Amino acid sequence: MSQVVLTLRASPAIVVDCSPLTPDRLAGKSAATIAAIELQSGNRRLPAGDLFDITGESGDTLVIRNACNKLDRIGAGMNGGTLEVEGDVGAFLGAGLVSGTIRVSGGAGAFAATGMVAGTLHVRGNVGDFLGAAIAGDKQGMLGGLVVVDGDAGDRVGDHLRRGIILVGGNAGDYCASRMLAGTIAVRGRVGALPGYAMKRGTLLLAGAAELPTTFNDCGTHELMFLRLFARHLAGVDAAAASFAPHGERVRRFVGDRANGGLGEILITV
Amino acid sequence: MLIRLKGGRIYDPANGANGTVRDIYIRDGRIVADPGDSARPDQDYDVSGKVVMAGAIDMHTHIGGGKVNIARALLPEDHRADLLARTELTRACCGHAAPSTLATGYRYAEMGYTACFEPALLPTNARQAHMEMGDVPIVDKGGYALLGNDDLLLSLMREGADQKLINDYVAWTLDVTQCIGIKVVNPGGINAFKFNARKLDLDETSPRYGITPRAILLTLAQAIEDLGVPHPLHVHGCNLGVPGNVDTTLETISGIEGLPMHLTHIQFHSYGTEGDRKFSSGAARIAEAINRNPNISADVGQILFGQTVTASGDNMSQHRNRKFASPNKWVVMDIECDAGCGVVPFRYRDQNFVNALQWAIGLEIFLSVDDPWRIFLTTDHPNGAPFTTYPHLIRLLMDKTFRNEQLARLNPDAAAASTLGSITREYTLNEMAIMTRAGPAKILGLADRGHLGIGAGADITVYTDHEDREAMFRTPDYVFKDGELVAKDGRIVKVTLGATHVVKPAYDRGIEDRLRPFFARYRSTRLENFAIDEEELCECGSSRLTVHQCRHARVA
Repeated sequence: MSQVVLTLRASPAIVVDCSPLTPDRLAGKSAATIAAIELQSGNRRLPAGDLFDITGESGDTLVIRNACNKLDRIGAGMNGGTLEVEGDVGAFLGAGLVSGTIRVSGGAGAFAATGMVAGTLHVRGNVGDFLGAAIAGDKQGMLGGLVVVDGDAGDRVGDHLRRGIILVGGNAGDYCASRMLAGTIAVRGRVGALPGYAMKRGTLLLAGAAELPTTFNDCGTHELMFLRLFARHLAGVDAAAASFAPHGERVRRFVGDRANGGLGEILITV
Repeated sequence: MLIRLKGGRIYDPANGANGTVRDIYIRDGRIVADPGDSARPDQDYDVSGKVVMAGAIDMHTHIGGGKVNIARALLPEDHRADLLARTELTRACCGHAAPSTLATGYRYAEMGYTACFEPALLPTNARQAHMEMGDVPIVDKGGYALLGNDDLLLSLMREGADQKLINDYVAWTLDVTQCIGIKVVNPGGINAFKFNARKLDLDETSPRYGITPRAILLTLAQAIEDLGVPHPLHVHGCNLGVPGNVDTTLETISGIEGLPMHLTHIQFHSYGTEGDRKFSSGAARIAEAINRNPNISADVGQILFGQTVTASGDNMSQHRNRKFASPNKWVVMDIECDAGCGVVPFRYRDQNFVNALQWAIGLEIFLSVDDPWRIFLTTDHPNGAPFTTYPHLIRLLMDKTFRNEQLARLNPDAAAASTLGSITREYTLNEMAIMTRAGPAKILGLADRGHLGIGAGADITVYTDHEDREAMFRTPDYVFKDGELVAKDGRIVKVTLGATHVVKPAYDRGIEDRLRPFFARYRSTRLENFAIDEEELCECGSSRLTVHQCRHARVA
């Protein structure tokens, strides 16, 4: 399978908007054409060829090597194909992702998966704050798709989340699932203060005990059919997602945030 | 420096030129007489065959003051989606429905507009509004001070104060807030909202002060008349947007008893209750009333489809409209008990019956009012649509075929409920020059703007006579502001500062003794700090203060 490989020569001093570099946008373009694509960096525009060595021939896979946290908006608005990133990335990874798969071997900055519509985003390292959250002024965060983070996530995971699944293998920060509208978040590690703050609907699945806001009602322990369906769904995606399948179906269910009339649920496996 | 515009077709209705071919000479920012063969122009523009008009004037556009800033803060996505990079001349700016100050000035100038009037300048916010408008480049600005819901006026009226005292208060307000006119928004209604009224009809007494909107309108219109302020009372009437409000509007027209009155965004006040959906066009009745009453003028407040934001001082209406907010976020607030403010984002949809009929009602009014001197082209920016849609609106008015094509795409029930399809009128270039230049200048009392006579300020727009009027009016060939070429082929070529237009009617300074204790007790600013002077205006971006003549004050 043909692929283009972009190798970052050196970490740029100022962040670079990499959104033009997606497999669908580079499809059919020669190395020379790709090298001429201008990328916004601060108040300047740089040709991609100034930053990257470009090899391979375009196909449905794009590989970015030697990436660093100065590369913002990787895979933003991508519609189809596979984007493999070796190294860390900056903010807005996969923002508004429409379809396709993005895999990052390192960590990512803030606002990963914001406005994501569908597709799959897999980050092996840690991510910053506002994973799948709404950017300022937007009424909805992530709108669909699947996000898997093997490491830790920062604060406000899934703030205003509208639809889709976010899986965090490590710990999540404060205000996890805050103002969540719908969708599902699962955290295998610990969560910080006030999970589910101002939650409207949706599900936050936690593996262990957490300190919930007092405005969540304890609804007792249940066996939920949903969990079996959820596990089956994850098993059908890939191995990384399947590892998040809850063991058993018994959970303690808390409903809230009643402070704003919310009917979201926090499920803690027992 | 002498500039000549050679051989253009002049549309200057104020001086009777309707396509007359002649040269225009500009010296030191003013239009001058032909200096004769001995004088050689320093700059010569061959504009033969092109259409030459005065710079356009938008007499009702929300470009400054608290509500615009609230709209900007509420809609960051509006700014993200519409970015303009900086150039050698222009600074980076953004915004579609609630553009930044810079985008506002550049885009107006690029479309051939050279003056814009902010219609809802709260006296308590006047300083901030002027600073914001000072930041709008190129175009001239002016504001209408809001009265009619302030506790001071209402208490004076409740006490039965002499009209003379109220006149002094009105004149003082114009003076210290540096405004050119007085606007009243939902007379008494904004105040009544604070005392839990959710509607206030023309003859309903307000809960706190026991005064009717009719009395407020009459008192303020009388004050404007007595003071000789050229611009009639600028009225945003009762019951905005409520089906059946056409009756209120007609009563407002008759209730003003012959005094001059300008009804703003009248499209929103021309709704009937006929038909299955109890929503119908009152345009014919409104147009007939305007035609019959020479004391009445109106701007339309046309709606055009797409995303925008409604920003109004009428918190009573905006509170009612909040459930239609799209996206779903809104602000309704009081501003220092002086007035109100409501910001509700809105998307007008062409397949929605109500929106489609609103579109048709606006156009029906445009096309049914006979006298173009008394009807003005506005979208009530940004309430009906952003001002950048003006060229599209002009095409709708000047091109019947295009209009009917658009009509055919709308919600079919709305199209069937409208008489628009049977109206054959097309605005001429001369009428367009009246509606967007000569008319606004006349009704605002701008003696040296809106025309191309000797001595006028050289605000001039040159267009290529294109069959597609939208293309023609979107990208003028040349735009001159005070004799300087500011835009060429729809791109800014020079950034200048605009003036601030005001009126200064005579009044008795003794009014301040009456106001001082009120300010000390109830206001956040002391009287001494309330007034804005010329120096301050010019420090924050105005090139100069242009004071326009009031008619000779009538002896009481």
